[in-house]
Amino acid sequence: MNKNDYKNMWVYIEHDGKTAAPVGLELCCEVRKLCDRTGDRLYAVVIGALPETELEKVKACGVDGFILVSGTGYDFFNTDAWANAFTVLSRKYNPSAIFVGGTVDGRDFAPRFAVQLETGCTSDAMELDWDPETGDIQFIEPAVGGKIMAVITVPVLRPQVGTIRPGTFPYAPVGAKERVEVIEERIDFDPAAIRCHPVGFIPDENDPELDIAHADCIVCVGNGLKDGEHLERYRTLARLLGGKLGCTRPLYDRGILPYKLQIGQSGVMVKPKLYISFGVSGAVNHTAGVDAGLFIAVDKNPNAQIFNYCDYGIVGDMDEVCDELIARLRAGDGKLI
Amino acid sequence: MLNILVCVKQIPDVDLVKMDPETGNLIRTGVPTLTNPLDLNALEAAVQLKERYGGAITLITMGPPMAESTLRECLAVGGDEAVLITGRPFGGADTLSTSYTIVKAAERFGPFDLIFCGKESLDGATGQMASQLAERFDAAQISCCLSIEEVKDGRIRATRALESGRELVEAKLPCLVTVEKDNYYGRLPNLEAYLAAKKAPIVTCTENNIEGLDLQKIGVPGSGTIVPKIYPPELPEPGQMIRTGSVKTDVGRLLELLAEKGTL
Repeated sequence: MNKNDYKNMWVYIEHDGKTAAPVGLELCCEVRKLCDRTGDRLYAVVIGALPETELEKVKACGVDGFILVSGTGYDFFNTDAWANAFTVLSRKYNPSAIFVGGTVDGRDFAPRFAVQLETGCTSDAMELDWDPETGDIQFIEPAVGGKIMAVITVPVLRPQVGTIRPGTFPYAPVGAKERVEVIEERIDFDPAAIRCHPVGFIPDENDPELDIAHADCIVCVGNGLKDGEHLERYRTLARLLGGKLGCTRPLYDRGILPYKLQIGQSGVMVKPKLYISFGVSGAVNHTAGVDAGLFIAVDKNPNAQIFNYCDYGIVGDMDEVCDELIARLRAGDGKLI
Repeated sequence: MLNILVCVKQIPDVDLVKMDPETGNLIRTGVPTLTNPLDLNALEAAVQLKERYGGAITLITMGPPMAESTLRECLAVGGDEAVLITGRPFGGADTLSTSYTIVKAAERFGPFDLIFCGKESLDGATGQMASQLAERFDAAQISCCLSIEEVKDGRIRATRALESGRELVEAKLPCLVTVEKDNYYGRLPNLEAYLAAKKAPIVTCTENNIEGLDLQKIGVPGSGTIVPKIYPPELPEPGQMIRTGSVKTDVGRLLELLAEKGTL
């Protein structure tokens, strides 16, 4: 395989037929910057019909072209047809890289077509860089529980495939190019070959306590929490602050709080005005998901990494600090946000 | 009767892995290992199916010889056969070559109706092994499975977790399933099973006895990705620490600072 035969970068635009998911737009914005350095052209790949107004949004992210795929097999998302479409397209056009949003669907089909193409696949990069000497993309991501950052490359094979979590890169459209190429491809996939079918869907109940992505204030509890019985005071504090309760991954793993409250790269990305962490160690995977106006950290370990991310830190017993905050707030020491 | 494969992995306790500041290498020596917790949820789902429909469970792992202890732990919970893929040439494999190796080694125990995997491993955490195994097994795939409703007439019905709700799906067998932990907490083995598992035979697969194995597709040569560099995360400068001597006064000072900032 000669790497130089593989040119241009693709971003998959996930959509539901009405709107494009934010992650595809975020990736277009980030990969645009990469292409400006590498000299590659940026193509947005859309499978199935998407309204013109949504395509305009993609255009505004500075893409050089679209690959619009139509045909049989795309009435509902299925890994079989999607993986096949990317394999067929990739064999025809030989892209250097393919980026796919790290959603449930994206994480399903991207590693599959990477196997069909027998190429390297990475997941959850937090930064993208490029080595002009090798011509390889550097996918930079936290590893070993966030203790280290690892640079991952696909040194020999092409395309370089990466799934990237929603919210990793900012949506910062640079504006539409004057000329945008449109390639239309018909790729039929036999509906009878689709092996997994949706037969029902139950939307999650709209529980406002579980919607932390837009909360102005978040009280986040980490692995320092002794057990579920100690949790109530943090709920109380969150309520007093007019905020929501969130957690780090270990608390979900321990079965104490639901996944929807997990803050971080593999959970919810949050942007509160005020963020108070209790017993959170500060692994990169978590802090990458927090963009706080004011960040307060409480932990008993004075060397905890979390203190590198906070504006103000208190070293102490998390429960005691929480109780004291509750007492002072109840006494009227703070009228909050 | 279902023929079920459960893929498991022994991982280092990532909380205890450290990086050598001089060499930049990971220090794994002496770090305790454990069975990837999410794999035990996958095993539990498989065991429940076996109890309901009958059948056999094959456990498979790839790793150094000591990964045998993970297989024994899983055998005690429920497994009929255990396969350890081990050998130097397999080392340094990414998911592309690991998925190839596992499928080649599992061939002689198949064909399988169902393949179970944990959602991801806590150490590598790429979460892409399952999809790549499914592709190589030429199997359907149900990821993020919350509960299995039924396996009947060559099909499986299951509920899976999506971003915005729960989806009921129906897939053809063979099917690979990755399991959410919510409803499949791993069980503890009873003493009898534990003792039996200690003595159970383990099938060892090496580069020499896996039929049709392409040595160019395993280990480092078969990997699509490499890790040319690791480094400690760049940490921002620490924030302002409040140390007044007591929790009471610390909290008081914090509230003062917040009031000055106008946050409160």
